[in-house]
Amino acid sequence: MSRSTPIRRTLMNMIFLASGVVLLVTSSAFCAYEFLTFRSSSIQQLQILSRAIASNSTAALAFENAEDAASVLTAFKSDPHIVAAALYDLRGKVFATYPQGLPSDRLPVRPGAGFAFGRSALVGFEPVAEGSKQLGVLYVESDLNAMYSRMQLYGLILALVAALSLSLAYLISRRLQYRLLQPILALADTARAVAERHDYTVRAAPTGAYEFDLFTDTFNQMLTQIQGSEGKLQAQVGRLSLLQQITRATGERQDLPSIFQVVLGSLEENLPIDFGCFLLHDPGAQSLTVAALGRKGSRFGERLSLLPQGVVPIDANGLSRCVAGELVYEPDVSRVSFPFPQRLSGAGLRSVVFAPLIVESQVFGVLVCARGEAEAFSSRECEFLKQLSEHVALASHQARLYGDLQQAYDDLRQSQHTVMQQERLRALGQMASGIAHDINNAISPVSLYTESLLEREPNLSERTRNYLTTIQRAIEDVARTVARMREFYRERDAQLTLERVEINRAVQQVVELTKPRWSDLPQARGAMVDLQMYLADSLPDIMGAEHEIRDALTNLIFNAVDAMPTGGTLAVRTRRATVADGETRVLIEVTDSGVGMDEDTRRRCLEPFYTTKGERGTGLGLAMVYGMIQRHSAELEIDSEPGKGTTVRLNFPAVTSSVVSQPKAKSAAVVKRQLRILLVDDDPLLIKSLQDTLQEDGHLVTATHGGREGIDAFTAASKRGECFDIVVTDLGMPHVDGRKVATSVKGVSPNTPVVLLTGWGQRLIATNDAPAHVDKVLAKPPRLHELRAALAELVA
Amino acid sequence: MALLTGKLRLLVVAGACLIVAQALGAADAPTENQVQAVFLFNFSRFVEWPPQTFAAPSDPFVIGIVGTDPFGSRLDEAVHNEQINGHALTVRRYRNISELDNCQILFIDRSEIARLGQILSALDHHSTLTVSQADGAAQHGVMIQFATENNRIRLRINVDSARAAGLTISSKLLRPAEIIGADDKVER
Repeated sequence: MSRSTPIRRTLMNMIFLASGVVLLVTSSAFCAYEFLTFRSSSIQQLQILSRAIASNSTAALAFENAEDAASVLTAFKSDPHIVAAALYDLRGKVFATYPQGLPSDRLPVRPGAGFAFGRSALVGFEPVAEGSKQLGVLYVESDLNAMYSRMQLYGLILALVAALSLSLAYLISRRLQYRLLQPILALADTARAVAERHDYTVRAAPTGAYEFDLFTDTFNQMLTQIQGSEGKLQAQVGRLSLLQQITRATGERQDLPSIFQVVLGSLEENLPIDFGCFLLHDPGAQSLTVAALGRKGSRFGERLSLLPQGVVPIDANGLSRCVAGELVYEPDVSRVSFPFPQRLSGAGLRSVVFAPLIVESQVFGVLVCARGEAEAFSSRECEFLKQLSEHVALASHQARLYGDLQQAYDDLRQSQHTVMQQERLRALGQMASGIAHDINNAISPVSLYTESLLEREPNLSERTRNYLTTIQRAIEDVARTVARMREFYRERDAQLTLERVEINRAVQQVVELTKPRWSDLPQARGAMVDLQMYLADSLPDIMGAEHEIRDALTNLIFNAVDAMPTGGTLAVRTRRATVADGETRVLIEVTDSGVGMDEDTRRRCLEPFYTTKGERGTGLGLAMVYGMIQRHSAELEIDSEPGKGTTVRLNFPAVTSSVVSQPKAKSAAVVKRQLRILLVDDDPLLIKSLQDTLQEDGHLVTATHGGREGIDAFTAASKRGECFDIVVTDLGMPHVDGRKVATSVKGVSPNTPVVLLTGWGQRLIATNDAPAHVDKVLAKPPRLHELRAALAELVA
Repeated sequence: MALLTGKLRLLVVAGACLIVAQALGAADAPTENQVQAVFLFNFSRFVEWPPQTFAAPSDPFVIGIVGTDPFGSRLDEAVHNEQINGHALTVRRYRNISELDNCQILFIDRSEIARLGQILSALDHHSTLTVSQADGAAQHGVMIQFATENNRIRLRINVDSARAAGLTISSKLLRPAEIIGADDKVER
């Protein structure tokens, strides 16, 4: 039987085969029986007929009436199959025949006995007897057509019966098959539906037949199991893909809040959960901090009174076990009496999972997932949350590492930036230093001659004297400016030389000096800056470095002008203030009506290198002001509003009257006697001016150009016995510098003082870094009074 | 060889017998008397006598002849060793009517037909089948009359006489016979 033959046809074939065989066997048996019984019954019938005829023909034989015998024999007509009959008398002679006139060769010559089937006929001999007396023999011959026709009839009946039976069998079996096949086919349809559509929700309908229902039930149970497995598998795949999705999402994020938010969002959306939050654990504290709340869970959060950055105490509940590194599942928090579960329960949440976030075997946080129904988390979901928490922990750890790395990188970049700035400044400072040296040298004659003129020329007109005084002040400013140039790169002096500063005067000077900046430059651009100066009367002095204060004011004025690109009002105000404890303070205010600063800029404006001026600014202006303020124990206030302008307020402590004012220009002891002075410098202008001024003081001055020449002159003079009283040498000279000169001088005459003049002089003075063999260091440009003081000090 | 010889011999003997039998049949054609003798004997088988006919089982079945005996020994030969229902057959010849006694079949020769009335009345109280070859005997009360027609012997049976004598004649005997009733004496 072919695999593809439908069961319906197979069953039909079987039924047909079975009923056909049964029918065939039955019919064959019946036919065989009929055949056999027909033979014997044929013989019997023929015998009976023959006996009757024989009996009727006794008288004819006994009384030799052949006509009567023939008429008796005509009774055989009743059986059309009897083809021949004859009566023999006792002598074996044919007495009568049927049909009449039958040729004698058609009959047996001699009568026999008994009945038997011949080849084509049934032949019989019946004795004719009356009582015990035999009178003759009757011969009968019957053809077999009867049998043949009977057999034909049987065949026909058999065929009809077979046809009818098979038709009936077909009809009945169809009816029965329907009952039998219906469940099988239904089951097959169900199985096909399952196989083709993978739809495990279909079920086979029960049929009412016991075995089939057993089968159907088993099949349905199997389907249920498969469906269950399928569902579990789907859920597992779903969770896996969720895990992957979350992992990918967290991988794309580097900050903890964003990671937490995306995890909670995904869980609420896809697991799903009703409430989710992340709590962060501080190993030291016995509490957890709410780091993130799910969007959906925030309504619970309000009822839970859990807010971002809120605190959840760790009591002896699931949280403490979770903090110990264990995943905790509370199937029904309403039955847990601890505070936090009770809070959850109060908010309408029943089942809760606490998943620890572990990094390097440290629990740093807890993932809380909750649902409104009790026992709502399956063990697979718990397992999923555990895995998820591991992923989240890892991602958080990565994020932290990334944050640290970013911070370190930023710091490094900041340091690099600072270093670069400093390097730039150092280079600038070195250049400035060189320039300063040259400038100091260059202005030395101006300084010396101006001082000398002012001092010695009695007939100077008032105008000349004013001019000279201004020149002198300008030179001093130049010298100080040059000195300040180095501030950019060199460390500030540890101690500041403080002196009385008259603030109003300093303010006036600064305003005057910066006039080109606030007046001329804006006018050139078509802008107008209205400068207003409000100076308080009888303002007390303050203790401070005047040049620093002037620098600070200059910077403030520059800033104010820069803040007013289209012009405006620049007000400089000084006033006196008395604070609560009676201390008097001096205030300087620089106010502009410019663009102002926003909060961020205001907060950062004091940072070094912070500038709003782009490439034009160094970012050092206000930083220097702030440095000055700190060194002067003063205070700095900045009021600013974007669009309204800025006010910078410098608040200095005033000098108390008890402070003794230092003598401004100590009229030092001037050396009265004539000194032999050796001047060593490579700058002819300086040599010339020094020589002129010292000679005017009455000294004998020998000028030498360069270190070698100076040493030679000193040595020669010593040999001649005309030893120099003092040697004044430049520090920086080609080939032989001031240090070597000093060494040589001391080598020849250890008692001869050596004064070192230097463009770097102030630094050397400040740091007390005087080279060996140098008795005093003076800064260039040399001041006449300083020089005189030094001479007096060293020679006396 | 021996078997073949045996078969051949059997065939020869059979053939010889056949020839002899035919020759005998042709030569020995039965006479009218002879046939009547056999018929007379045959009647005993087609007629039923009342039970009281025989006083004792050993009583013979008697075929009587009254008048001239036309059969000679032929009748004796025909009944020789024959029995009817256990009764041995015997032939008795009666010279006159007074000798008539209890016989079952009585052949009345045409020589005695003149005294037919006497004979029948003598037999009145006996169940005796009367047979005669005399013409018209049946019409005159003889139960069975032999009639010769076309060289064949036919039977004429007077059913009423037989019934009156308490005899039952088999329908088989009546079939080939001509029935003569009391009513249709003239007709027959």
